[in-house]
Amino acid sequence: MPRPAFLDLARPSRRHWLGYLLLLPAVLLIGLIIVYPLFVSVDLSFQNVGIPRLDQPRRPFTTANYERLFTSPEFWNASWITLKLVVIVSFFCFLLGLGTALLVNNRFRGQSLARLLVALPWAVPEVVAVVIFAWIFDSSFGLMNWVFIKLGLINTTINWFSSPEAAFAVVCVTMIWKGYPFVSIMMLAGLQSIPEDFYNAARVDGANAWQRLTNITLPSLMPVLGVTLILVMLWVFRDFSIIYVMTGGGPLKATQTLSIMTYEQAFGFFKMGYASAVGVVTLIVCVIASRLLMGRAPETV
Amino acid sequence: MRMPGWKRLAAVGLVALCTTTALPALAQNKVLKFVSWQKDERGTGDWWGSVIKEFEATHPGVKIEWTKVERGAFADTMTTLFAGGQPPDIVHLASFEFQKFADNGWLEPLDPYIKSAKLDLKGWAGQDTCGWNKQTVCVMMLYFGYFMAYNEELLKKEGLEVPKNYAEFLAAARKLTKDINGDGIVDQFGTGHETRGGGGQYMSEMMNYTLDAGARWTDENGKVTIDTPQMVEGLTRWKTIVKESLTPRDLAAGEVRQLFADGKIALKMDGPWLWPIIQKGKAKNQIKLSMVPFSPPVGGSSNVLGIASEVSAENKKLAWDFIAIATSDKFQSTYATLGASPPPDPRADTSGASKDTPHFDLLVKATKAAADAKVDRIPKGLELQFNEFAKMVMEESQRMIIQDLDPKVVAATMQKKAEALQKQ
Repeated sequence: MPRPAFLDLARPSRRHWLGYLLLLPAVLLIGLIIVYPLFVSVDLSFQNVGIPRLDQPRRPFTTANYERLFTSPEFWNASWITLKLVVIVSFFCFLLGLGTALLVNNRFRGQSLARLLVALPWAVPEVVAVVIFAWIFDSSFGLMNWVFIKLGLINTTINWFSSPEAAFAVVCVTMIWKGYPFVSIMMLAGLQSIPEDFYNAARVDGANAWQRLTNITLPSLMPVLGVTLILVMLWVFRDFSIIYVMTGGGPLKATQTLSIMTYEQAFGFFKMGYASAVGVVTLIVCVIASRLLMGRAPETV
Repeated sequence: MRMPGWKRLAAVGLVALCTTTALPALAQNKVLKFVSWQKDERGTGDWWGSVIKEFEATHPGVKIEWTKVERGAFADTMTTLFAGGQPPDIVHLASFEFQKFADNGWLEPLDPYIKSAKLDLKGWAGQDTCGWNKQTVCVMMLYFGYFMAYNEELLKKEGLEVPKNYAEFLAAARKLTKDINGDGIVDQFGTGHETRGGGGQYMSEMMNYTLDAGARWTDENGKVTIDTPQMVEGLTRWKTIVKESLTPRDLAAGEVRQLFADGKIALKMDGPWLWPIIQKGKAKNQIKLSMVPFSPPVGGSSNVLGIASEVSAENKKLAWDFIAIATSDKFQSTYATLGASPPPDPRADTSGASKDTPHFDLLVKATKAAADAKVDRIPKGLELQFNEFAKMVMEESQRMIIQDLDPKVVAATMQKKAEALQKQ
């Protein structure tokens, strides 16, 4: 029996259908685990709800959560902390990542070991990294206080997690340590794709190392830099475990980012509607930031 | 290639046979879900295990699926399970978090079960906490009182007696806080408190001092009573202990307990759960126990057992049977022995526990002292807002210490913020 024409995927005009068919399971799965919860979250943000039940009728529509959010000093403080964290951590991740990538891109004895050591923090689970740094910066028994005292930099121990500024600095250091290897790996991949001929031609023209870096290396790395910057910023923006395990957002909300605030409102205070509003705003900010950076990326290529 | 006919027939027959023999087995194998954070706890976990064993022995074909969830992730997990319509049949919750679940109507009212089982809850420690909207929604599984553990050797070295009041305690803590090896870093502390982590635990630590100063967060009618001279005194004491670093700073409760067990802290006020930690510590032979030098001791309800309101009637009945076993005089007696904690049941025979656990009578005395003074970590009138309230108290106390604020001002701020929370 001949196959019906509309199912004949061998026909040139139907061939793209096969692609869609093959993609369908993945699309459905993404829809189920990402898009649907997203819709639920947006819906919840417009309801005055504590702990929601999906099988119960929705509460009346309200914008109270957003009104409360935008008039809440806590939200603006969390936004400011998030912004500070994103800028500082991203900047230093890039500085360290690019530096180490340039370093291990050279040929020298022990290069493989150096590359391994550079990438090592990335392989360490976040919670393990936090435990390590929490003990390094422990106020009473930590290594950092001991080193500082031995070096004569301080004469009394610093209570790292009792001071808003110190706690913020510790979180930054931990995130930079955890995040720079990713930048380093990406940069290394970018560096290895730059043809050696460029450098040879530049040397013939008498360009020094700095000129080769600014005129060849960095412009060639721009596409990779753009994508990496977006990924690092998004990671810092939404990272939860490092801050939550290390400081819980304290002291005095000095390390309370938007993701910590979302979690606390949802699972600490059981205000899911309000927490969803924080989550939705965070999502919108992330999307806008990504679009702005992505929009700039092609210009830099 | 087609399968021969006789083979197909045999295969069909085999499938049919398997299906029909499996059906009764499936019907018999009922599973009740029980989620707890105490599964691996030495003593208490063993006791829960014995209750489960007894239940399964007396209910053939019914199994308890016992899952451990860490305390830190417990509220989130339970919220998710209930919100997703998949609650555990037997509900185990901390006594400061069940209110939210009860308020959502997720906990089955237990009064009819209690009545038909003739369960006598008169004198059951902490049971008053289990009332919600004039109904009993849970049974209290532990009410505790703090005792003081002290390192006898460290006290003797300094020529100190066991402190009997706050003034003596403060003097001892100051004398015992020292840099032993002269490297400029304090490595022995007078006392130990958690100053990092959850608001609830932070508040419990503070209450050692606020209760002794005669302060309460709310009165018996639920009215906020923070802005008082007593609370100012309590806050002043807390500020003194933390600001002078008589306690190690920025450590979680578990870390502080471990330091005490290892001989790095001299005086520690805590609940019955400290004892198993002491037993594993390096300084276990130097540690002795006494009543806290404060009056009343910190105490309160700890954890409760209930039934999810939306499970089937059959499962509710089975979950109640489980609760009935756990609350029976027999198992309350073994709770004392295995858990080394005073059981809430006033009829429990604790003579075995007194023999096995040398300090058991002290635990009973501490619990009674806390119960008589009606002490609870959860302030009346702020049950639903407890997490927010605890966080606020922690933050304002931290602000007082970090910014060196006057406790009088801090008490007034706390009063205002607590009242605002109540009105939410």
